[in-house]
Amino acid sequence: MSPIANKESKEQKNRAGQKIVSPDYLLFEAPREKHFMTGSEAVKEAVKRATVDASVSYPITPQSEAAHLIGELWAEGYVGVYFRGENEFGVMSEVAGCSIAGARTITTTSGPGTLRAMENFPMWSGTRAAMQLVLMARGINAPLTIQPDNLEVSFLLDTGCMIWYAENVQELFDMILAGFVVAEQPDVHVPVITAVDGFFVSHTREAIYLPPDDIALPPYDPYKAPMPAIDAEVPPGRFLRDPFVMKSNYISYATHASWQFEVRAAIERSRPYAKHYLKGLTEEFGDKDAEIVFVACGTAASQAKEAVRVLEAEEGIKAKVVKLKTIRPFPYEELLEATKNAKYIFVPEFNVVGWLEREVRRALYKKSDAEIIGTPRVAGGMTMPKEAIVKEVLEIIPARR
Amino acid sequence: MAKLGPAQYSPYPVAVYEGVLNPPPGKALLFNDIVDEETAMREAAKAMLTRENATIFPGPQVLYAWNEEAKKKAKLIKEMAEVLNAKIIPMYDYRPKYPKIDPDIEINPNHPNLTIWHNKIKACIFIGVHCHYANVALKIIRSETDCFTIAMCSMAGHEDAMITVRDQHSEDLEKFIEIAKEVKKELGLA
Amino acid sequence: MSLKIYELNEEFKNIVPQEIVALQENATWGNPKRGVMDLPVAKELLEEHSLCAGCPEAAALRYILASLPNPEDTIIVNSTGCTSLMFPHIALHTVHSLFGNQNSVATGIKRTLEWRFPDKVKDVVVLAGDGATVDIGLDYTLQSFFRQEKITTICFDNEVYANTGGQESGLTPKGHVFKMAPKGKQFEKVPMWQLAIDSGCHYVARLTVSSPKRVEKVIKEAIYVAREVGPTYVHLYTPCILEIGLNSDDGLDEMRSRDKERFKFFEYKTPEAEEVIAKYKEEGLL
Repeated sequence: MSPIANKESKEQKNRAGQKIVSPDYLLFEAPREKHFMTGSEAVKEAVKRATVDASVSYPITPQSEAAHLIGELWAEGYVGVYFRGENEFGVMSEVAGCSIAGARTITTTSGPGTLRAMENFPMWSGTRAAMQLVLMARGINAPLTIQPDNLEVSFLLDTGCMIWYAENVQELFDMILAGFVVAEQPDVHVPVITAVDGFFVSHTREAIYLPPDDIALPPYDPYKAPMPAIDAEVPPGRFLRDPFVMKSNYISYATHASWQFEVRAAIERSRPYAKHYLKGLTEEFGDKDAEIVFVACGTAASQAKEAVRVLEAEEGIKAKVVKLKTIRPFPYEELLEATKNAKYIFVPEFNVVGWLEREVRRALYKKSDAEIIGTPRVAGGMTMPKEAIVKEVLEIIPARR
Repeated sequence: MAKLGPAQYSPYPVAVYEGVLNPPPGKALLFNDIVDEETAMREAAKAMLTRENATIFPGPQVLYAWNEEAKKKAKLIKEMAEVLNAKIIPMYDYRPKYPKIDPDIEINPNHPNLTIWHNKIKACIFIGVHCHYANVALKIIRSETDCFTIAMCSMAGHEDAMITVRDQHSEDLEKFIEIAKEVKKELGLA
Repeated sequence: MSLKIYELNEEFKNIVPQEIVALQENATWGNPKRGVMDLPVAKELLEEHSLCAGCPEAAALRYILASLPNPEDTIIVNSTGCTSLMFPHIALHTVHSLFGNQNSVATGIKRTLEWRFPDKVKDVVVLAGDGATVDIGLDYTLQSFFRQEKITTICFDNEVYANTGGQESGLTPKGHVFKMAPKGKQFEKVPMWQLAIDSGCHYVARLTVSSPKRVEKVIKEAIYVAREVGPTYVHLYTPCILEIGLNSDDGLDEMRSRDKERFKFFEYKTPEAEEVIAKYKEEGLL
C-alpha cells in the first residue's frame, strides 16, 4: 500500500500542459514503451515528466549533457527557471534560493564541482530544501581526471542529504521521479542526491522503458514544507529561514544540536516512502542462501552480478549480490537480513578509500560473523571486469579455508 | 517516542534512533505504539485534563488569519482550551529572540523548556507549528523537561512527541473536542 | 497582497505580545509612500537586536526597512557578519544562507518568485557587509550584475571584518592597520561602486548614512530600478565605531566627516534607470 494518499486528480494539467497523475501511476501503472538512450538522456526524460520549476546548470564532464538537456526542456516550456550559473558554489546557492522560494528544483554536477560546491550541501539540508542533485560521479583532483570514480560520494555521506545510487539508465530515470516524491514528503523534506557512475551510466546507451511524456508528477506544494517558503505568502511574516540560533537568550546551544538531529531524523523518516517508491532499499541477485555475498552500489553491482553468473556457470560456486539503492538512509535491516548466511562479504568499489566497505563494516559490526573483504577496488577511470572480481574470489577464499 | 523526559542533557537519542517513526495515514502514535486515532485522542485528552498546568501552544499556521482553515482552527483551539481547562501560550514566530523571551506569555522553539519550566507545564499540545520547528522544540522538551507532549499535526506527525495525531484539519479538531468532552465527563471533571 | 500573514486571528489577539499586534496594526504596510519620517510614529519592522549601542549599521538598517516601498512583498537576503545579528528580528521573510553566496541565493529566489507569481511584484534585496560583498562573495555579486538579475544589492561598508574581531578587508583603505594587516593594508580600497557600474548595474550610489532622507531616496530609486530594469547597487558607509576606537555617540560625526571625502555622495544612473525614476516621480512615489 502506498504510504501517501494518491488522490487521482480530475484531469488537471501542469503549466507545461501535461496531465497530472499520481506518483504511483507514473512510476508503476502507466504503460511503458521501450527506448534506447544514455543516462544523460534519461535525466531529460525524467525531468520532462516531473513538473520541475527550476534548474541551474554549470559545465563539467561528465554531467554537462544532462544539464544541456534540462536547458532544452526549459526552452520547450517544461521547466520554469533555467540558466547557467558562474561555478558550482554559485549554482548550488542559486538552486537553494529556487528551492526555498517554493520551486521543485534539480541540478547536476560531478567530481571537482561537487567539492567546490561542498559548503552548500549541509546548508541545503539544514534549511530543509527538498531539491534534487543528480551526481554523475567522477574522480577528484589532483591530478586532474575526468574519468569515473566515486570517491566524491564519501564526502557527501554526512551532509544531511539523502543519498541514493542508481545502477543503470532505467534506474536513474525512475529514481529521479521517486526522488522528488520522497524528498518532498512533509516529514522528510531534505535534499536527495541521486548518484550514478559517470560515463558508465551517463554516456552509455541502454534499453529503457518510459511512460508517455504527456503525463507528469503533481506540482510541488511549498506550503506543506516543514518550514515556511521564502515567498512572503505564509506566516510568520517575521521569518529568517536559517537563523543564528545561539543568539536567542544567549543560551540555546541545544537548538543547533536538536536541529541537526532533526535533519538526520528526517532522513530516517524517508525509509517507508523510499521502500515503496524504489521497491525496496536494496535489491538481491543470485542464490538467496549463498555464503559469498557482494555488497555494492551503482555499476559495481552490475559487474558483481556478472561475476555471480560466471562463478556459478564456470566454477559451480554460488554467490549473490546485495545492491544498495540508498546509502542515506543506510539499509541496515535489509543488509543484515540479506547477509545472514554470508561467510564472505566482498565490497567491490570504484574508489581507492573503500567508503562503502567502511559503511558495511559499521552496519554489520558485532552483528555478522562474515569476513568483510574490501575488494576489488578500482579507481581513476579503471573498469571493473567481471573476470577481476571472479579472480579475487578464487584467490581469496581457498586461502581462508 | 519511547518514554517521558527528561531524557538527558542533549536531545539524543531522538525517537527515530529508537526505531519510532511517524504513524501511517489514518493512525496515530502513542509512545511506541501505533494506535487508532480515537485511542490517541482519548489519551491526549486525559493527559491534558489530569496533568498540571496543561497548555496549548498554537503556532503561526493557526495564529494568523492567512486562510479560511486557519480562521476555523483558531475558533476550535479556543474551544479546545476551554474543554481541556488549558492555558494558551503562543509560538507566534520562530526567531531566536533577543534579549530574552517572557516565559509567562510566549514560547520559542529555540528554548521551549524555559516556558515549560517557568509555568510548570506537565502536558501540552503543539498545533499549527511548522513541522521542523515543532520537531526541534519537541526534542528539546523531551531532553530537558517531564512535560507530556502532544502534537496535532496537519501533515505526517511528530514521532518525538508522546502522542501524535496526523492529517489534522478542522473537522478532526471538532472530533477531538467531542472526545475531550466525553473524557472530561468520565473523569468527573465536567 | 501578503498582508494577511501579519493579521492575527481575533481569538488570539489578546494573548500575543503587544509588539506582534502592533506589527499588524501600526506598521506601515501597503503604502509605497512610507519612509523614514514614519520612524518616530509607526511600528518598525526591526525588533530589538544585539548590535553595539550607537552602531551606524543598525541605523542604516532601520532607515532601509522604513524606506522599502513594498515591504509586505519584499524578501531580504543577508550574509554572515554583524548583520546576521539583526536579521532574525526583521519582520519580513529573510534568508541568511552562507558567507558570500547572498547574490546567488537572491538570484534563485527572485527568478522563482517571478515564475511562481507572474502577476505580483516581489522585490528581492541583498544586504551584506563588505567582506561578504567584495571579498568572499565578489564573484557572486558581480556575476549577478552580469546576468542582469533584478535585485538590489546593498553593501554595509564598515571597512573591516568587525564581527570576527577587526581584520582587514578589501574595502579597508590603504595603510589602515587592522588585524591580519599589522603593517597596514598594502593595497587600495576596492572601488566597488565602479565595479558595479562596469558590471552592468543600472543604478549605483555611494554614501554614508548620515542623512536618513537621502538613504530613503537612494533605496527607493534602487528598488524601483531593480524591479523594472536590472541590477542596482548601493554602497553605504556604516563605520564600526568599536574597531576604529570611537564612542557610541561618535558614529554620526564620523560619517559626516567622511561625507566630505572618500564617501562623498556619488550617484550613477543609466538612461533606462532615469526613465524609471522619472516615471515614479511623476506618480508621486519618489
